[in-house]
Amino acid sequence: MTQAILSARAIGAGESRGRPFWPRGDTALAFGLLAPSLLLLGLFTYAPVVQLVWQALTAQSTIGGPQLFAGLENFRALFADGAFRKALANNLIYALGTVVPSLVLALGLALALVRSTQVNALLRALLFVPVLFPLVAAASIFLFIFLPGIGLLDYHLAKLALSGPNWLGDPDVALYAIMGLTIWKNAGYYMLFFLAGLQGVPADAYEAAILDGANPWQRLRHVTLPYLKPTIGFVMVIGLLNVVTQVDHVFVLTKGGPSDSTNLLLFYVYQQAVETYDVGRAAAGTLVMLALLLAITAGSLRTLERSFGEKEP
Amino acid sequence: MTTTRRSLLAGAALAAGLSLAPAFAQTPTEIELFFPVPVDGQLARDMAVLIKEFNTAHPAIKATPVYTGSYDETLIKTRAAMKAGKAPAAVIMSANFLLDLKIEGEIQSLDGLVKADGKTNEQFMGQFFPALHGNAVIDRSIYGVPFHNSTPLLYVNVDHLKEAGLDPEKLPENWQDLVTAAKKLTRREGERTTRWGITLPSNYDYGGWILQALTQSNGGQWFNPEFGGEVYYDTPSMLGALTFWSDLIAKHKVHPSGVQAGGAVSSAFLAGQSSMVLLSTGSLTHIRTNAKFPYKVAFVPKNLRNEVPIGGASLVIPKGVEGERRKAAWTLINWMTSPEKSAWWSRATGYFAPNKAAYDTPEMKAFIATNPDAGVAVKQLDYASAWFATYKTVPVRKAIEDELQAVLAGKKQPKEALAAAQKQADEILRPYVEQTALKLPTQ
Repeated sequence: MTQAILSARAIGAGESRGRPFWPRGDTALAFGLLAPSLLLLGLFTYAPVVQLVWQALTAQSTIGGPQLFAGLENFRALFADGAFRKALANNLIYALGTVVPSLVLALGLALALVRSTQVNALLRALLFVPVLFPLVAAASIFLFIFLPGIGLLDYHLAKLALSGPNWLGDPDVALYAIMGLTIWKNAGYYMLFFLAGLQGVPADAYEAAILDGANPWQRLRHVTLPYLKPTIGFVMVIGLLNVVTQVDHVFVLTKGGPSDSTNLLLFYVYQQAVETYDVGRAAAGTLVMLALLLAITAGSLRTLERSFGEKEP
Repeated sequence: MTTTRRSLLAGAALAAGLSLAPAFAQTPTEIELFFPVPVDGQLARDMAVLIKEFNTAHPAIKATPVYTGSYDETLIKTRAAMKAGKAPAAVIMSANFLLDLKIEGEIQSLDGLVKADGKTNEQFMGQFFPALHGNAVIDRSIYGVPFHNSTPLLYVNVDHLKEAGLDPEKLPENWQDLVTAAKKLTRREGERTTRWGITLPSNYDYGGWILQALTQSNGGQWFNPEFGGEVYYDTPSMLGALTFWSDLIAKHKVHPSGVQAGGAVSSAFLAGQSSMVLLSTGSLTHIRTNAKFPYKVAFVPKNLRNEVPIGGASLVIPKGVEGERRKAAWTLINWMTSPEKSAWWSRATGYFAPNKAAYDTPEMKAFIATNPDAGVAVKQLDYASAWFATYKTVPVRKAIEDELQAVLAGKKQPKEALAAAQKQADEILRPYVEQTALKLPTQ
């Protein structure tokens, strides 16, 4: 992906030298070839975004009446809403508490399973299984795992004469229960990227490190991790995007409860659009999310490019 | 189930395709019915059977059932279809969404259709149990026809009662009985509770409904049934109800803490981990099929009086459905709510048949004779009243449910929780109140 971006840049740079007013033949051809996807993008991505911006600026002034221009009123109401701030805070905790552990876990698993043996291949496949389930299905399974008293977790805790908390019904625990599910679901996926990334670490770098007398920890710290930087950056982007765009499990397991303790931004937007029937505020919430996503993506892509630069000085 | 759903979807797609073809005089009127299945896949099949029978009996109409998920999803899909200019001819809609839909101008009054049949509104609604009128008739106009309904009900494990030395013929009738029985039924191993005396569901939607039942049993009203802009959260009747629930957890220690989802409550009852539960009458068939022990049902125990809210769904016709499609929808609605069909659906699902005459059919009499629990459920309808419905019902309900959940988790005291809920609800209701009750002559 980054490779493509880099080469696209190179092309752009080459072209800016003495470009004629009229597009050159190959530019016209390029646009011609791009036209079908540009058309689809325009219809299904950019047009809805424009519509969304308009909706975010409108509100119903009379009940049952039309949507009228309301300026930034929706954004004011959005940030004044305690539930929105709560969802934002929850999302931050959720982001930190899922991305970092999944990354560490995925890296650990990848390091443990990097050598291609038959046992490792089997283990890799097993660890990858959660990725194959749709999130909705995984959440439905966890509904039974978390079931108080009868569920899988409580069943085994009871054998140890312990009683678990009300996993999804206690406002102090519910968000962490959902985070556990997310980590379980994503770690195997991220492991795959790390496995690929580890193939790119040259063997002679390790040999040199061993000759210099580096212990395993030093080899990880000074050889493996620097080579994996682009992979870490990339997985981080994917992880952060997942955090904002996936709420299927919240929908299935808690509907944002108890008392909004598992409400995340996207689910809040859903509630505004569907339960409160406030299209304007839902659109405003979506725009805030969109801004967050753009910031995350832009920030991480720049980091990515920089780390590519470091690799080949 | 998937195949059924898939074939339904295929049917819907086919119907949509056909409706694009030019209409000929002989072609039947095509109508779609959006229907939710709040319980399980079996019901989707039952609905297909029902509609097939309707189409055979009415060659001039071709009705297509479209499965639309839960109650909430049905609301979403109906609104989406209306926005796209393709409103379904009829929808089975959660009964407490009708007021909201009427306020937003999304469903039509059925008065004209009733009048065209030569009936008055009173004559038409007279065929249904009086408890169901409140959620169907708004400002004296009929907006919905009750299709299947429910009330909360107390389910009791008879084996556990006997084990605890309690008389299975005398089920708890009031709150004191309930606490006494629940204490005897609760089992502990050291610090760990292995069986709870009673469990009430408290997830969103269910929790509000059960709290309404407790509030009404405590003499309260919860909301103004005549005006959609008022709720009575910060009142003594509600304080008593919420404190009672919170005492079951913190004081009497006979009820698990935190939110209990509806599905978890019925599982706990079926697994013998809770001796008593309050659940919808809509769970009757599920419990009857799966309980491996004798159980009994009773009215929701009272503090001051027996009164519970209704639940369930009504048939509505969205705005914009006109002409032949409107007439066909009306034919379908009347057919589906007739005594025989109503009784058949009730036996299939466990919901009440809203049509009183359904209980005079021989099949239904035989059914009640073999399943006395269904009979108890119907008797409670005499003590039922309207389901909570206001302007923006769901967020107004969520305002109290968030606080209820905080109380059940021991995070808040009932009094402060109710004050917070009232404030939040008033805030949501403000635009409606300002445009109705507080819109006064300025000159």
